[in-house]
Amino acid sequence: MKVTLFATCMVDLFQGNVGKATVEVLERLGCEIDFPEAQTCCGQPAYNSGYVEETKAAMKKMIQAFEHAEYIVCPSGSCAYFFKEYPHVFKDDPVWKPKAQALADKTYEFTQFIVEVLKVKDVGARLNGKATYHTSCHMTRLLGVKEPPMELLKHVKGLEFTELPNKEQCCGFGGTFAVKMPDISEQMVDEKVEHVEETGAEYLVGADAACLMNIGGRINREGKNIKVMHIAEVLNSR
Amino acid sequence: MAMKIGTGEFNDRVGTGIKDSFMRGAVSSAQERFQSRRLSAAEELGNWEDWRSHGEEIRQHVLENLDYYLYQLSENVSKRGGHVFFAQTAEEASEYIKNVVEKKEAKKIVKSKSMVTEEINLNAALEEAGCDVIETDLGEYILQVDDHEPPSHIVVPALHKNRQQIRDVFKEKHGYDKSDEPEELALHAREKLRQEYLNADVGITGCNFAIAETGSVTLVTNEGNADLVMALPKTQITVMGMERLVPTFEEMEVLVSLLTRSAVGQKLTSYITTVTGPKEEGDVDGPEEFHLVVVDNGRSGILGGEFQSVLQCIRCAACVNACPVYRHVGGHSYGSIYSGPIGAVLSPLLGGYDDFKELPYASTLCGACTEACPVKIPLHELLHKHRQVIVEKEGRAPVSEKLLMKAYAFGASSPSLFKFATKIAPTVTSPFTDGDKITKGPGPLKAWTNIRDFPAPNKENFRDWFKNRPKGGAN
Amino acid sequence: MNGTIQNRDAFLGHIANRLGRERKTSVERPKWKYNPQDEVLKNATQDELVEVLKEQCKNIHTNFVLSNSKDLTESIKKVVNEYGGGPIVAWKDERFDQFGLTNLMNKEWPESGVDLHFWDHTKGKENIDKANYANVGITVSDVTLAESGTAVLFSSKDKGRTVSFLPATSIVLIPKSTIVPRMTQAARIISEKVRSGETVASCINFITGPSNSADIEMILVVGVHGPIKATYIIVEDM
Repeated sequence: MKVTLFATCMVDLFQGNVGKATVEVLERLGCEIDFPEAQTCCGQPAYNSGYVEETKAAMKKMIQAFEHAEYIVCPSGSCAYFFKEYPHVFKDDPVWKPKAQALADKTYEFTQFIVEVLKVKDVGARLNGKATYHTSCHMTRLLGVKEPPMELLKHVKGLEFTELPNKEQCCGFGGTFAVKMPDISEQMVDEKVEHVEETGAEYLVGADAACLMNIGGRINREGKNIKVMHIAEVLNSR
Repeated sequence: MAMKIGTGEFNDRVGTGIKDSFMRGAVSSAQERFQSRRLSAAEELGNWEDWRSHGEEIRQHVLENLDYYLYQLSENVSKRGGHVFFAQTAEEASEYIKNVVEKKEAKKIVKSKSMVTEEINLNAALEEAGCDVIETDLGEYILQVDDHEPPSHIVVPALHKNRQQIRDVFKEKHGYDKSDEPEELALHAREKLRQEYLNADVGITGCNFAIAETGSVTLVTNEGNADLVMALPKTQITVMGMERLVPTFEEMEVLVSLLTRSAVGQKLTSYITTVTGPKEEGDVDGPEEFHLVVVDNGRSGILGGEFQSVLQCIRCAACVNACPVYRHVGGHSYGSIYSGPIGAVLSPLLGGYDDFKELPYASTLCGACTEACPVKIPLHELLHKHRQVIVEKEGRAPVSEKLLMKAYAFGASSPSLFKFATKIAPTVTSPFTDGDKITKGPGPLKAWTNIRDFPAPNKENFRDWFKNRPKGGAN
Repeated sequence: MNGTIQNRDAFLGHIANRLGRERKTSVERPKWKYNPQDEVLKNATQDELVEVLKEQCKNIHTNFVLSNSKDLTESIKKVVNEYGGGPIVAWKDERFDQFGLTNLMNKEWPESGVDLHFWDHTKGKENIDKANYANVGITVSDVTLAESGTAVLFSSKDKGRTVSFLPATSIVLIPKSTIVPRMTQAARIISEKVRSGETVASCINFITGPSNSADIEMILVVGVHGPIKATYIIVEDM
């Protein structure tokens, strides 16, 4: 199966290890990966800050970059959701609306793709230790992907899973929110880290690089002994 | 107390809120209790999404036909002998009510909880006219006795206060000498308020839902205070936001079911009361005179525009109880009588961007509010819409942000430039990196790195790795 | 006499204008797409509804008494005694006679010194004074909602609104025949009356247990403005 990787700017620039794990897991499941070099960023940071018109140029570039794809797979729930939002953004544009719709229709979040399209629940991964999982807001509420990551983690050998208290609560990232409202964001991420600690988990797993950068950044700054891993990295462990 | 409450800048208010550890403890535990009750009340129905969709279709239909239903409502109120006054502005509404009160030579007025009367600053107008105005909802009564402190939650106004504080207020103002047990505090309020009801000349209520077909108004409480406000004084004045109505009893019951489950997780609250006009001939209790004041106060400006769906709101505060930002900053930080996500959407619309331009940014757009809303208002989308208006129509975004966003948009719309950025990022950021992280970022990154690390850009470029890796699965 | 209506035309004209159309002079009440309220307790028998009501009473701090016509007198006496006896205020309601309570209310109580006042509109304000000092208020439910445990009371001149509010405790007689699944059926009963030309009662109370508040530290206090205790006595009338 031919899969086109939408790596996200976050992974492309800062979290190459997540990109690598994504590619390796999918290849091991028999996918042929293609990476369009013309991809940039989905545009969400500027869009969410209210710069809708300015973001459209970047969105059009992304539509073009992925026009050829059969399946688009993205290791970030929030960015995958944002592709799904494109038709809404271009709703009054007769030229770009159908293109945006086509893009949205073939976009899948990484775990969703594995479970719903490849119909695989056990990818043969092994990771020893206790883990908890952060359910990212955009992934669960806006994209509506709740079960697939759980299904996949359940089948990782050696992994003991423990549920995160108040798991539905936002980690306080919110794109530019983290720098526009830093005091509130700090309270939110601190509460999230507290809950992670309560679980006694060694690993905090998530399916959204942005949330993990926020929670992980705080965990590291506080010197906590918790390893933050993207779910692709967990599924790539053996 | 009008829309705007408190003083100072948004950030200062937030700072005060964050430091108030009692308030934060109270808010977070209240949120958790409300949330779990709301979820189980929704779950036991088994088809909650259908309920939400039904609530949404009813509210949308009413808004689309608002002129017709308000006409029908006013006709039916009038037929039952009630008076209807349509007020375009807060001042018109207050003025009318003041006139009624003066004509009745009223000295004492009892009120049941109403956000719209707060909005039009009614109490101040009535006190100016020499009236003694008494709030009868327990939470509002406590705040009123405490020198008119503003509410911090639209359902539980005194959520930010603890029992010791309440005891001290009663002690200082009333010479209360009993314990700080909630039962005893409530009993004190009961005894005080019972006399007030019996001696009041005028009762003023808000309106949860008016019913067009019958000219009725429905009030929802647990305490029963609205019932006494409506049963004992000789004159009743009900003030409603112009959108708070339904076609018939049958839609009223659906929305009441959504309201009580979403607000407090109850199937129904203890008292839901529908009154129609003044008392009938021969009736002993109930008002001799009934006035309905229908208030616009900025709502028509929302109608017909991109924010229209916010008028679907039934004031249940489910969004407030779900909001992670409200959780940490509390109600007073919003600087508006309407707090939480609904407040962040509604306050700038009714009160203007001058006072409330920060509120749409006090959200991570996490969508918890939208998910909680029983009438499916897309709250996080409306918050985003505000940001768009602030940036694109109002031109109020800070210059530094505009430049940054322009640069970002330029970079993201140029694949070659973006690719170049992935290559040079490690070099450009090297002065700030410390191993694999940035701990003291420049410019806007500083607000991030003040409290957390930021990852240093990939040393090995992901794109290069992808091109050069051994194909076919790395085992 | 009709009441006054002020500022209506300008106000409604402005609304129509904002909605981008002329004023509407008639609107058909739509056939709604969703009707989830019809599903609740759909095919429940009257006995099943009694059971649902009984269970719900536990949630609403309300004492539930099942009674047949023979022991109704004893049941009421028992509850009144438990509440500390009179003074009592009750509606002047022909249903008390139908339920065989004439002897108790008109003879036994007055003769044994229990102060019982029937709400009588010819006595004017005295009714309110009596209700304010009463220990027990007795009313009869017109429609009863099993799901929520709610008694629906239609006020009229000899059925004062405040009988269920001012006394310290409240007893509501629930004729078994008045029990319906939920508020939906009550709303329909009222709507049908309205559409057949009946005047809707100036006050309809949907009462669900005693008065309560959680305004102080979210701790439930039962009995704030209205009754502190409530009992429903189910009367077998079918």
